[in-house]
Amino acid sequence: MKASILTAQNLSKVVDSAEGELTILDDLSLQLGRGDSLAIVGRSGSGKSTLLGLLAGLDQPSAGEVLLAGHALTRLDEDQRARVRAEHVGFVFQSFQLLDSLTALENVMLPLELAGCNDARERAHNLLERVGLGQRLGHYPRQLSGGEQQRVAIARAFAGEPDILFADEPTGNLDSLTGERITELLFELNRERGTTLVLVTHDARLAARCQQQIRMEAGRLVATEA
Amino acid sequence: MRSLPLFRLLQLSLRQLLREARSGELRVLFFAVLIAVAASSAIGYFSARLNGAMLLRAGEFLAADLVLRGSSAAAPEQIAAGLQRGLAHARAVEFSSVIATDQAIQLASVKAVDDAYPLRGQLKSAERPFAAETPGGRPAPGEAWVEARLLVALDLAIGDSIEIGRQPLRLTRVLTYEPDRAGDFYSLTPRVLINLADLDSTGVIQPGSRVSYRELWRGEPAALADYRRAIEPDLAAHQRLQDARDGNRQVGGALDRAGRYLGLASLVAVLLAGVAVALSAARFASRRYDLSAMLRCFGLSRREALLLFGLQLLLLGLLASLSGALLGWLAQFGLFHLLGGLLPDEIPSGGLLPALVGMATGLVALAGFALPPLAALGRVPPLRVLRRDLLPLPLASWLVYACALLALALIMWWLSLDILLTLALLGGGLIAAVLFGGLWLLALRGLRRLLANAGLTWRLGLGQLLRHPLAAAGQSLAFGLILLAMALAVLLRSELLDNWRAQLPEQAPNHFALNILPAEEQAFAARIAELSPQPATLYPVIPGRLVSINGEAARTQVSKESRGERAVRRDLSLTWSATLPQDNQLLSGQWWDGLPADHGPAVSVEAELAESLGVGVGDRLGFSIAGQDIEARVSSLRSVNWDNFQPNFFMVFEPQTLAGLPTTYLTSFYLPPGSERPLVELARAFPAVTLLQVDAVLAQLRSILAQVTLAVEYVLLFVLAAGLTVLFAGLQATLDERIRQGALLRALGAERRLLVRARRNEFAVLGAGSGLLAAIGCEAASALLYRLVFDLPWQPHPSLLLLPLIGAVLVGGAGLLGTRRALNASPLAVLREA
Repeated sequence: MKASILTAQNLSKVVDSAEGELTILDDLSLQLGRGDSLAIVGRSGSGKSTLLGLLAGLDQPSAGEVLLAGHALTRLDEDQRARVRAEHVGFVFQSFQLLDSLTALENVMLPLELAGCNDARERAHNLLERVGLGQRLGHYPRQLSGGEQQRVAIARAFAGEPDILFADEPTGNLDSLTGERITELLFELNRERGTTLVLVTHDARLAARCQQQIRMEAGRLVATEA
Repeated sequence: MRSLPLFRLLQLSLRQLLREARSGELRVLFFAVLIAVAASSAIGYFSARLNGAMLLRAGEFLAADLVLRGSSAAAPEQIAAGLQRGLAHARAVEFSSVIATDQAIQLASVKAVDDAYPLRGQLKSAERPFAAETPGGRPAPGEAWVEARLLVALDLAIGDSIEIGRQPLRLTRVLTYEPDRAGDFYSLTPRVLINLADLDSTGVIQPGSRVSYRELWRGEPAALADYRRAIEPDLAAHQRLQDARDGNRQVGGALDRAGRYLGLASLVAVLLAGVAVALSAARFASRRYDLSAMLRCFGLSRREALLLFGLQLLLLGLLASLSGALLGWLAQFGLFHLLGGLLPDEIPSGGLLPALVGMATGLVALAGFALPPLAALGRVPPLRVLRRDLLPLPLASWLVYACALLALALIMWWLSLDILLTLALLGGGLIAAVLFGGLWLLALRGLRRLLANAGLTWRLGLGQLLRHPLAAAGQSLAFGLILLAMALAVLLRSELLDNWRAQLPEQAPNHFALNILPAEEQAFAARIAELSPQPATLYPVIPGRLVSINGEAARTQVSKESRGERAVRRDLSLTWSATLPQDNQLLSGQWWDGLPADHGPAVSVEAELAESLGVGVGDRLGFSIAGQDIEARVSSLRSVNWDNFQPNFFMVFEPQTLAGLPTTYLTSFYLPPGSERPLVELARAFPAVTLLQVDAVLAQLRSILAQVTLAVEYVLLFVLAAGLTVLFAGLQATLDERIRQGALLRALGAERRLLVRARRNEFAVLGAGSGLLAAIGCEAASALLYRLVFDLPWQPHPSLLLLPLIGAVLVGGAGLLGTRRALNASPLAVLREA
């Protein structure tokens, strides 16, 4: 068995609402090894994104524990979790989340610069070449199509050589053909670099390519496919 | 990942700054700070240099920049100390002496000057009495220049000889103007000006003679200040230092008010700057929420994210401040160029201080207004990358406002150096803001009801304001402050100019007549009435000395070097009057008609002198008048307008109190230009009367006031220009949401015309609200300022009611201009950019 990179045990998330307490996530556990891929599927409001946020350490659960690369995220404060993210985690978002004021190259360089890489420019350049945007280095996000923006975001996510990549509806804003290309790219990089992949998606074809799938309904895990 | 070293953060923030600058993202904040600093340092430079120029001009009233005055010659080391500092030096010695001819004798005031005198301004003289005067020169050894009235009194002509002591001197010219005689034209004996080289040979000056020695100095302000510091602690009891500010009351008053106006203009510039920075800093922060969340996802700690933004802001602030200071420095050159010909040729440079103050102003404003929204950036939850609706936890709002207020207070205090004024302005502003904010929220609530039945244009336009009532109140407050600042600058300018015009009317008295004998009083008054279009009041004058206060010797009651001490050391000009003299104001006590029937001798005292003497209503003052002792009770204190070129008196007695004492009369009157002939005839008809012409002094004062007026006008224009720029820049900062909404509406099929109307209505209502706030605030602030700072009477200003209209037009127009590009562009492009 592969070494575990991500473990969630009895995760729950309860928030206060006008109608009293609302359970968004109810007693959920899972485990992922290095290089694995996991798709979290389910209808809108089923708690997929909440789970992703908790697994990535962007939010804290009401109960339960998350172990990411050996760190118990629930016992760390926000700044300590930030360090864990910097070292082990990459993100890809549905809305790309590129910085409008930076060019494609600069967007990819940013996490490398934050990590103090001396060859940030060169590595970012290579990654953009790898995702097929070698000719668009100096373009601003608004000058790129949706698919191109997502490629930049993927290049940025892989720039820090993360152990685990979280993707929130990575093809949600793209047409099916572009979506397929992006999916292809994600899995190629996943294979090349041995990165663990955690996806939240509506896209059945994307989900089908993952080694594991979990289906969620009203905050509960209702099915697991492997 | 280890925590980032500061150097790396600095590097990163610089890189980030350059990238964002290139993409145009930082333009609004950069220009807000730039304008703020440019306005503040341009006004700073302009006022510092203009003040220097005016002081230089005012220095003419002293014939120097600084004068060391004493009753015996200055010590050699005092002279050496000035020469060592590179100051130019001249000396004048004044004493009284009897001039005798075969026919008559006349007491004259002799002034012996060296060849460097005067250091500022010029002597003026004529070939014969009342002939055209020419500037420059001074009497050579063996010569004397005299005033025309001495020629009349002794029946002498140019070319004759007189003797002063043992020294015979030939009269070569008629002296018409001495720059440093302006301060004290009455109670003067006629002037004889001689060369200092002749002084010893007159043999007049003996130990114990009453002589006034004046050491005149001219030089760079820094060197003068240094000299002043060096010798001031060791001045002898008889010595006093004087500079242009205390040299002349009329000029001093005008300069003081102008200085305060320029100071206020700087405050206004700071206020404008603060508003601009506040508006754009909030935008700076809100546009970085995503970046902040992203950086946290990348693993930056809260502290590092904050530091990164803080350093970025600091770098931006420094860059904008430096450019602003440079721009301000260049702008004041432009101003001086425009004023060319009206100002003296040499204008002091102004140094680095105004630029530094301007930069500090920009940075402090940036810190005060931008730090609170910046702090919010540190609290953006990283989960925002998944959920865009997550906003940072709001900082307690009082903390935000307290920060901004503190920054504003610091700058204002720094610029005005007046804690009371600062607190009054800020406290007033705060109360007005709270009151207005409440009113505005109430009004919006009312509007909401009205709006339910209104047309689409109104609902679309005002809907924006109603959806974010607090933001709308904030924006309205900001625009209100801008309008208030501009209105205040306009208001004060008019009042100051009116005040100066009133001080020196077209027909201000340009002659003084002294020593009018009681027997000649009627005849003289009648003659003046024929010559002058203005009536002249004749005041009785009796020289007398204040000897006791409440039975104690007066000399022991006053502190050294005070006005009171100077007043008890010399004869005062005492007068009596049944009515309160024109331009005087009763501050406490009663005028004669309000006193009980059996009151004894009573005197009304000028308030500032009374304060220096430590006397109040009810105290007893003892006078020695023509060998008689008279005691009178202080019945009232008066304020006196010293600026008005009318005879003014420290002590006014009730008419019968001084009955039977030897009296002469004094008056001032206006003669139109070209009255030289009648003046000579007047002098001949009343040979005992001393006539003084003060045309030259008046002309000089007028030219200084004209300069000050011009300066005030230019500074006002600058403030207005800065205000409008800030208004536009500030509006830009609030447009993001409106532009996006407009594009959305257009995408949904709204016509461009509908959107233009909706925006126009929205901005007009916002502007009118701001104008109303400005009108109320301006009225309150002016009432405070007039009373506390400018010493001007205050009346309501109905014209301020125009401000809501002006606000509606200005803000409405600026808002439309600002959104025009977005309304013209394709909605798709706008939505993609937003």
